[in-house]
Parts: sequence; structure tokens; C-alpha cells
Amino acid sequence: MNSVTFASASRISSKSTDLPRATSQMRASRLAGAIAAYLGLGLALVIVGIPTYWVIIGALKTNREIYTVPSTWWPPNPAWSNFPAAWAAAPFTRMYLNSIAVTFVSTTLKLVNATFCAYAFAYLQIPGRNLIFMFILGALMIPEEVTVLPNYLTVASLGYVNSITGLILPTIGSAFGTFFLRQHFLSLPREVIEAARVDGAGHLQILWHVVLPLSRPVLATLILLTAVARWNDFLWPLVVTSKDTMRTLPVGIFFLFTQEGTTEWGVVLAGTIIVIAPIIALFIVVQRHLVEGIASGAVKG
Amino acid sequence: MQSIQVPRPTTVASPSATPAWSRDLLIFIAFIAPNVVTLCVFSYWPMIRNLWLSFTYWDMIAPEPLWIGLDNWVEVLTSATFWTVLRNTLVFTVGSVGITIMISLALSLLLNQKRVGRNLVRAAMFAPAILPGSAIALVWTFLLAPYYGLISQAATGLGMPMTRWQNDPVWAMPTVILVVIWKTTGYDAVIFLAGLQGIPRELYEAARVDGANAWQRFVNVTVPGLSPVAFFLTVTSILSSFQAFDVIRVMTGGGPVFATTTLIYQVYSEAFVGFNAGRAATYATILFGLMLAITVVQIRMVEKRVTYE
Amino acid sequence: MNLRTRRGALSAAGLFGTGLALAACGGDAASGGAAAPAASSGPVKLVYWGAFAANLGKVQEEVVKQFNDSQKTVTVEHQFQGSYEELANKLTAALQAKQAPDMAVLSDVWWYKFYLNKAIQPMDDLMKAEKVDTKDYVDSLFNEYVQGGKSYALPFARSTPLFYYNKDAYKKAGLPDRAPKTWDEFVKDFAPKLKGAIDPKQFVFANGGYSAWIFQGVIWQFGGAYSDKDFKMTLGEPKGVQAGEFYRDSIKAGWSQSVKNDTDEFKQMNAVNIINSTGSLVGILDAAKGKFEVGTGFLPEGPAGFGCPTGGAGVAILSGLAKEKQAASMQYIAFATSPKVQASWSQQTGYMPVRKTAIDSKEMQDFIKTNPNFKTALDQLPKTKFQDSARVFVPNGDQILAKGLERILVNQEAPSTVFKEVADTLTKEAEPVIKARKALGA
Repeated sequence: MNSVTFASASRISSKSTDLPRATSQMRASRLAGAIAAYLGLGLALVIVGIPTYWVIIGALKTNREIYTVPSTWWPPNPAWSNFPAAWAAAPFTRMYLNSIAVTFVSTTLKLVNATFCAYAFAYLQIPGRNLIFMFILGALMIPEEVTVLPNYLTVASLGYVNSITGLILPTIGSAFGTFFLRQHFLSLPREVIEAARVDGAGHLQILWHVVLPLSRPVLATLILLTAVARWNDFLWPLVVTSKDTMRTLPVGIFFLFTQEGTTEWGVVLAGTIIVIAPIIALFIVVQRHLVEGIASGAVKG
Repeated sequence: MQSIQVPRPTTVASPSATPAWSRDLLIFIAFIAPNVVTLCVFSYWPMIRNLWLSFTYWDMIAPEPLWIGLDNWVEVLTSATFWTVLRNTLVFTVGSVGITIMISLALSLLLNQKRVGRNLVRAAMFAPAILPGSAIALVWTFLLAPYYGLISQAATGLGMPMTRWQNDPVWAMPTVILVVIWKTTGYDAVIFLAGLQGIPRELYEAARVDGANAWQRFVNVTVPGLSPVAFFLTVTSILSSFQAFDVIRVMTGGGPVFATTTLIYQVYSEAFVGFNAGRAATYATILFGLMLAITVVQIRMVEKRVTYE
Repeated sequence: MNLRTRRGALSAAGLFGTGLALAACGGDAASGGAAAPAASSGPVKLVYWGAFAANLGKVQEEVVKQFNDSQKTVTVEHQFQGSYEELANKLTAALQAKQAPDMAVLSDVWWYKFYLNKAIQPMDDLMKAEKVDTKDYVDSLFNEYVQGGKSYALPFARSTPLFYYNKDAYKKAGLPDRAPKTWDEFVKDFAPKLKGAIDPKQFVFANGGYSAWIFQGVIWQFGGAYSDKDFKMTLGEPKGVQAGEFYRDSIKAGWSQSVKNDTDEFKQMNAVNIINSTGSLVGILDAAKGKFEVGTGFLPEGPAGFGCPTGGAGVAILSGLAKEKQAASMQYIAFATSPKVQASWSQQTGYMPVRKTAIDSKEMQDFIKTNPNFKTALDQLPKTKFQDSARVFVPNGDQILAKGLERILVNQEAPSTVFKEVADTLTKEAEPVIKARKALGA
């Protein structure tokens, strides 16, 4: 737990103090506070909700309706046909499979990398390890635009262009995840680790039986963030695939949105919803753990 | 706390003469090797190659890049474009990161209170952060479209002249900043929230007992308590802001003219539009150096003021 | 899932294994290209990279399908790679990685770069072997790709810019049902009348999209040019500046607006007039159905008369293919540019047929009678000129010019200054091209 240093910490009194009686003035200010809070929350919900709502109903409108002003807040004849049209406009089934395969395998491998690395940096007292840790962190500063072309050449020379392996290969290194998990591992109570060590447990056993079970929320959070990033990857899949059947969903969506030809907004928005639906689903499942996971990963240590 | 089922050894291992860590060295290497190798091949090797490319002229179709020494560097650093791009980058980063952090902090304080529906708001606000950048840019292009876009309808309803937001030299950058703020505020707020929940209640109680009002409690308890989180957020937000690309690409294409071209966009533009690999590499090296410098400065200067245990 | 139970661990392993299996079978080692040895049995497989999306893309796929169905010796696989620019990018990277396709669509500003680097091969011997009637191609379009006496591509999706106008708005303003003959007539007569008759939110002219291509016509209409054939940049000269001033003033005077997507503005009836490619015709007609009548006409003349460029793309064969694949590629390209296919391609897209026989065919003539808008590009074609070297031969020339035009239109900067800077940049960028041309003896 963090301890916070500030002047009056020393004045934490151990005696309980009588709370002043609630005056009507206090009740009024509490009410004002409540109103302000709900206004704030409502505003936040609206600001996020309206664009989302607009996209959903936009996906149900025809181009004609979209272009009419003032817009309707509910389309009179929902154009459900936009969804099958979007699905047919690109090999979405195949792209869904690609996205799922890439996301699943890449996230798993990346997490394995992060876990082992974080464990090593947190618990193995090798001199110079902090330097190597900095080296790993430095990878966060290398923008993707710099890496795509050289990686394309590397992957091509290995024969993995237009393949799932090629899509996955450059993504399995972990910098952020290593950082995140290391922070968390450092915050775990040392006694437990020590106890296991004394009992003669090897590192693999400590990792599997002690450290990981204590890290569920952090792992859940990291899995969410990693899986989402992989699902949404655009530039690398664009570069390393030339066939529609090997592309992933974000690339498919991008090609729906054309420069020449008619922009069918309704269809494009429907396609966008098709792409982001699984992420929302995953998010809803995991989001309960989110705050706790982030607390353990980013806050402590 | 988990109980561990580990077979007890019948003998105790005797301490060896070699230093304690040497036994772990093999394991250490085994644990970090896959990750380090991957990062070397797919992150660092491209960066080194990039540095080398900055000293060459290459249109990417010719079989070999042509060595030209410092020509690219001189050309870039003395071009008006570079300084415009640099200024845009700073405006973009300071604008988006600064405003996002302020709004998200306020939002996290709100979410920390036990109000009805706060979990819904929390989830809803976090959601944009996990959507693909291109999808968000698409959505906002749709919302900002002149005449039939929701924002345009609202603006003209309020009496503003019809503006083509993404094509307007004055409005293009604010538009892009706005979209980025919309995307990341919820994410930052959740992280701040996690930080808030890590501040011990007793500290607030003690401050209340000492007669501190809400503002004083905020300044003396909340702010120091949040400093590690704020630091983490600032560092990572700045890094990702420097690399923010999809939103700009889909919404404005770096335009009009250079109005929304940041360093990362210029790298893309020089490489994939201008087919000038050497100049692109120069910009990319400058970008990397800038990120490195800023992060180091942050770590040196700010971390001193971050209160840890 | 609970990894600690056996079932949990097994299902996790199962999922992971499935992922790996997908990874293994999803792979595709050879995606066409120079290194593959010629197959001696079965049809020759070719990879063809296309740049047509949406409605145009569907028609492109049809052409490929028709070819595959019409014979048994060659199978073409069409792979969409994005816009002309995106395809050029992909092709560049693919050439480095030895992953290039067999054929690719290259637009007016991209094919030359690949020619200079010997990435595409001459087609004359192949055309002779395939008995292609080269004389039947529209001369100007065919000759564009001839360098050093050899053809490096065949025209496929060719266009000219057209003047599109909203007939309903014209009627409302009491204007004749035709495009303006000159810019003078447009600015002095048409524009004020339109302004008076249309909605306040509508505007007379939208300027945007492929701006450097459209302005190529405008600068000629004012008697200027981007450059001469020796790569001397001439847009900074008085006539060129005059054209630039005309553009700048159009915004200032209020009859033109600078937009991101002018076809969208036209389709939504915000803009009454635009200048855009004939390749957008079908999309525009579709969008306007039931809403308003679309009219097309020649580009308006300027003080120096008429000026109009051609545009669009051709198909080229990549260098280094096995003889068998070269011949097979020629077979496909001959098919795609044959009169019958071109007639149907043109009717479905709005691009001009590249074969004289196709243009003169009864089928096409009948079609034009019922769809007069398709005739405009064809009638305008004989009056077109080959584009200036600054746009088509200088790497990135199109982008440099476009940025300059943006500065004039959006930032309202002085054309004399902007064009001088653009000319300087173009001169510098042209140096490697001039060198390469000397090396090739062109």
C-alpha cells in the first residue's frame, strides 16, 4: 500500500472524534454535490453515448436517409439489409477467422513472454537486469511505421507473407506487458515467495503456484488490452497480406471505405459494428476486473 | 494467500561457493531470451536499419539505396516543413494529453463517489479506448460531415457558419485533438480511478478531522496519492500521442496542406506517399530521439517528486 | 476458464492448438511472382493486382471471372490492393521482398516510376505473338505507354475529367441545359444566376479531389503548363500564375468552395457543379437517381482556349516472369482490353473504351444514345493532350502540385510565391528521373 507523505499525516489522531451534527446547510450542500455529480455523469454518458448511438442507427439507414437533413433520430424503415450487404462486400467470414486466430495465438504468446520476463526482472537478482529492462522498455518508443517495411522483408524471406504466422510473428514481443506485470510482481508480498523458496520450490513452480494465482485481475486486464490491440491492428496486416482471404477485419473495413466509387455510409457503419462487436463482448466480460487489475499493475510498485 | 503443494525435499541444499545469482543466471536467460530476441529482430533491428537509411537516398524501387551522408539531415532540419511539423506535434501532444488528463481526473473523482449508474458510465467511457482508431475516425468523420453530420447540424443550429471541419486550416487540428480526447479520456479516468481507490481512507478521515475542506483534502491527500499514477499516465500518454496515426490518416490525411501533419504522419507521408525512404528515416530518427529525450527527462525530473513507499 | 482443473487446461490447450492449426493451414508460401518455377501440368496461375473498389471492383472481378471461364489454360487470381497509390506502395514493398504479382494496374502517375526501374517489361513481342491488333487502340491512349519505341503497358481504365452539372438547379436558374462554354461565361453569367436561384446552403462549384489532375486542364486553358518535355518547370510563369489566381479568386469571389470530396458534395446536392473523372459517372448517376438530373459537358475553355488531360490506368506485366507466365499475362490483358470487354466495362463504370472498334460498335452507339452522359468523355477524347512531365514523370509530382494548390485554395496564398516554391521542389525531385532517363537512353 502506498503511504502518502504530507504534513498532517503525523497528526492522524487515534482517538475517535465526534462528528458534527448534520445541519440543514450541510444537507443542502450535499444535495448540490449530488446534483452536480449526476449532471457530470450524465454529461459523460451523453458525450460517449451519442456518437455510439448515431453509429448504430446510421448502420440502419440507407444512403439517402443519411444525407437528409435534419436527421431522423430513429430510421423509419431500418435498413437491416446493410448488415448482410457489409458481410458480402468482403470475405468477412474468413477475415473473422483470421482475426480470431491471430488475436488468440498472438495474445497467448505475448502473455507468456511478458510473464516470464516480468518474473525474471522481479525475482531473479541478476546484476544488470535493470539495464536490460530499460532496453525492453525502449521498444515502446519505436513507432510501427518504422518497423513495418523491414519486418515485411524479414517475414518475406522466411516465406510467411500472406500467412497467419506472418501476421503473428512481429507481434509477440512484449514491452508494455512486461512493464505492467513487473510492477505488479514487485508489489506482491515477499514473504510468500520466500516461503516457497525455502520449501525448495523451483522458479517455474513458484510462478505457476504462487505468483500467477495472485495476479488474476492484472492478467485479465493485460489480456484485454493485448487482445484488443491485436484485434485492432491495422498497418501490419495491411502490409503483410495481399490476398483478401488472409486479411484481418480492420483492413477489411478500411477497404469498404473507398475513395473512388460511392461511399455507402450505411454499409460501412454496419461493417464497423460487425468488426467491433466481439471486442465489446470481451470487454463486457472483463470490465469488472478492470479497475482492480489496473490498480495492481500501474499503481503499485 | 494460497497454500502451496510442493513436495518437501528430504535434504536441505547446501550453500554453494558461487554467488547466489549465478544459479539463477541460466533461468534468467531462459526466461527473457524469447522476448529479447523477438524485440531485437522485430523492433530494434528495424530501428538500426532506419538510422542507416537516414544517410541514404532511396526511392524503394531501385535495387540499392544510395549513400549521401548528412544530406537528408541538413535538408530536413533546414526545411520550413520540419519546423511546422514539429510545432504541430507539440500542439497536438500538449493539447490532447493535457486536456485529457484534466478531464479524466475530474471524471475519476466523479466515478469514485458512490452514485447510481457509475459503473455504466465507467464502462461506457472506457469503451472508445478499445475500438480501432480507424473505426473511431470513421465515426467522427461521419459525425463531422458537413450538412448531415450531427455536429454540423448542431453547429448550424447554433448559428455557426457551415464549416468543413476537417478541411479547414483553423479547425482541422482542434478537430483531430478532440477526437483523440474523446477516445482516451475514459481510459485515463479508469486508471486514475484505480489510483484513487488505492489511497487509504484513513488519510482522508485524518484530514477531515484536522478541519481540511474539500479543496485542501484534494491538494494534500489526493494529489500526492495520485502522483505515481499521474506519472505513469503522463509518460505513456505522451508516448502514444507521438505515435498517434490512424485518426489523422482517416480524418484529415495530414491536411489541409500541413495543418495536421505531426512527426509520425510525416514519416508515413515521406515513405508511403513521397517514396523517399531516406527522408522518412530521418524524420523517424528525430521522432525516436524526441520520445527518448522526453521520457528520460520525465523520469529524471518528475519521478523525484512522485511519492512512493 | 479455470486452468487449474484438468478440463480447463485441456480446453485451453485445445483452443491454442486450433489457433496453431489455423496458423499452419492458413499459410501460403508462393503467392505468384518471379521465383516460382513454371508448372507443367494444369492451367497457368497468374496473380493480378487491381485498384478498383466498391461498384467498380465488382465489375473488375466480373472481367477476371469471364476470362477464367472463357478458356482452360490460364487462371487469373485478382487481388485488390486499395487505391492506385496504395497499390503502388504495396508493389514497391513486394518487389523488394520478391513477392510481386504477375500483372498490376498502374495509373498515369505511377507506371513511369516502375518503368524507369525496369520493374515492368516491354510487351511488343508478346502482343505480336498474341496477335493483338495494336492499331485498333485509341492512338493517344496507346502511345502514352510507349518509351523508346516499346510499349510498357496497355490502357485499361481510361478517363477524362468532365464538367458535371445539376440540371434541376440549372433549370431553376433559367440557364440553358448545357455546360458553360468558357470560364468567362460561367463566372459572369452562370454563377450569379445560380447563386440567386439556389438554397443558401448550396454553392455553385466544389473544388477538390485529384486537384492536380483537374488543374492540369485549367492551366492549359490559360495558356500555361506545369512543365515542358525537358522537365523545365513552367508553372511559375505568368500564364500559369494567372491560372492560379483564377483558382484563388474563385474562392474569394464566393462561387467556389474547397472541399475534401467533391463527388460527395455533388451527390448530396450541396454543389451544383464539379469537375471530376468520367470514372465517377456511374456512381454519381446511381446516387442521383430519383433526386436530380445529372448533366455532363466539356471542360470550360479559358482565355487560351480548350485544355483537357487524360487520366486513369493501364495494366502492365512485371519483369522477370517465366516465358509461360508472360504469354499467359498477355492473354489476359488482351482479353481485358478487347473491344467486347471494353464496351461492357465502359458501360458499367463510365471509363472510356480504349478500342476504336468498341467505340464505333453498334452496342456502344446504342448505349450512348440512351445515356448521353457517357458520350461526353468520348467526344472530348480527341481534344485531349498528354499530361505534363511534372505530374506524371516526376516522383511524387502529383502530391507536390496538389499541396501547392491546397495552399492557394485553402490558405489563399499568392500563386506567384507558391508556384515558384513548387517549381523549385519539382526541379529538385526531377533530377534522379532525368539521370535515370539518360541511363536508359530515353
